[in-house]
Amino acid sequence: MRPNDRKYLKSHEWCKVENGIATLGITDFAVSHLSDLVFLDLPAKGASVTAGESFGEIESVKAVSDLYSPVSGEVVEINKDLPDNLEWLGSDPFAKAWMVKVKVTATSGDLLDAAAYDAHCAAESH
Amino acid sequence: MRLRVLVDQPAEAAWNMAIDEALLQLAAMPTLRLYGWRPHAVSLGYFQAATDFADLPAGTPLVRRLTGGGAICHGDEVTFSLALDAAVLPPAIADSYALLHDAVLVALRDVGVIATRLQDGHPQTARPAERWCFTVPGQGDLVTPTGKLLGSAQRRIRAPTPRVLHHGSLVLHRPALTPFVAAIADTAPTTFSRQALLATLIDHLAAALAMTPETGERTAAESALAAQLQQERYGNPAFTFSR
Repeated sequence: MRPNDRKYLKSHEWCKVENGIATLGITDFAVSHLSDLVFLDLPAKGASVTAGESFGEIESVKAVSDLYSPVSGEVVEINKDLPDNLEWLGSDPFAKAWMVKVKVTATSGDLLDAAAYDAHCAAESH
Repeated sequence: MRLRVLVDQPAEAAWNMAIDEALLQLAAMPTLRLYGWRPHAVSLGYFQAATDFADLPAGTPLVRRLTGGGAICHGDEVTFSLALDAAVLPPAIADSYALLHDAVLVALRDVGVIATRLQDGHPQTARPAERWCFTVPGQGDLVTPTGKLLGSAQRRIRAPTPRVLHHGSLVLHRPALTPFVAAIADTAPTTFSRQALLATLIDHLAAALAMTPETGERTAAESALAAQLQQERYGNPAFTFSR
């Protein structure tokens, strides 16, 4: 099972909320289907993100995919080193490859716990 | 399942890209669109820097695609787009390219053009050292002895539902601006016809998707959204030169 200290979206982003700050990233399942990641565009510090809407974009194998936010709020920190070290998304998607930290004002109503997200991935693979 | 087929007349670059995004957002059924470019134009991959193309001849129409990859000079070519639910395609992006490339491969064979799908070569990268899409073929690309024949790229959205926009460009005659590309005219038999290629492309892309092709038309809503996107996005220098 994937880490159960956080929640997941069906679109394969994760968020871990601590003291009102959500750390966002994408899951190993997302990374495995994207393959050969080559470019990541993240919002600037201070930007607003909205639950269920795109907060960034990632490119792989000539395909651009949107990244969706599990929360609403203000971006208070970005992982500045990640765009130049995209291999971290493959080696450590749930820790070192975090993307942004958001001061949360609202949370998506569509969040899944780890078990439900695992089941969603299993269903999507078939 | 039916595959709606739209065969459009060659059109201006911003309009072409606006229609494709409208189909990605609104198409209620899987849609294959075939079209061309008039005037000829250069399209940039979504993340490419417009400043890298400052040396283009003055007046060259430039548009930014929603899809990734490198720039393409769209001259005399067959361009197609597919707007589909993601579930129709294999979940891994590389596998989805393989499925569609093999369909194009068989369609080309039908009209006497022999290409192969590269099984090796350098890994596909969306931001290659070379700025043009066709410069260096990579894994999974369709090639002839003269070079890369098919340019492909995708956009994937997950909300409100997982959807894919796939772009394909098949060069008929080599553009002066990108003389290094392969072209169907290099190896096509004298009996080759564009119409025959369109017909067999439709058949084989539909077959690869396990769908039945059916000629259709754009809906009023799709046309209205395309007009809005043409004005606000693809025809707007603020978007074209945003990077």
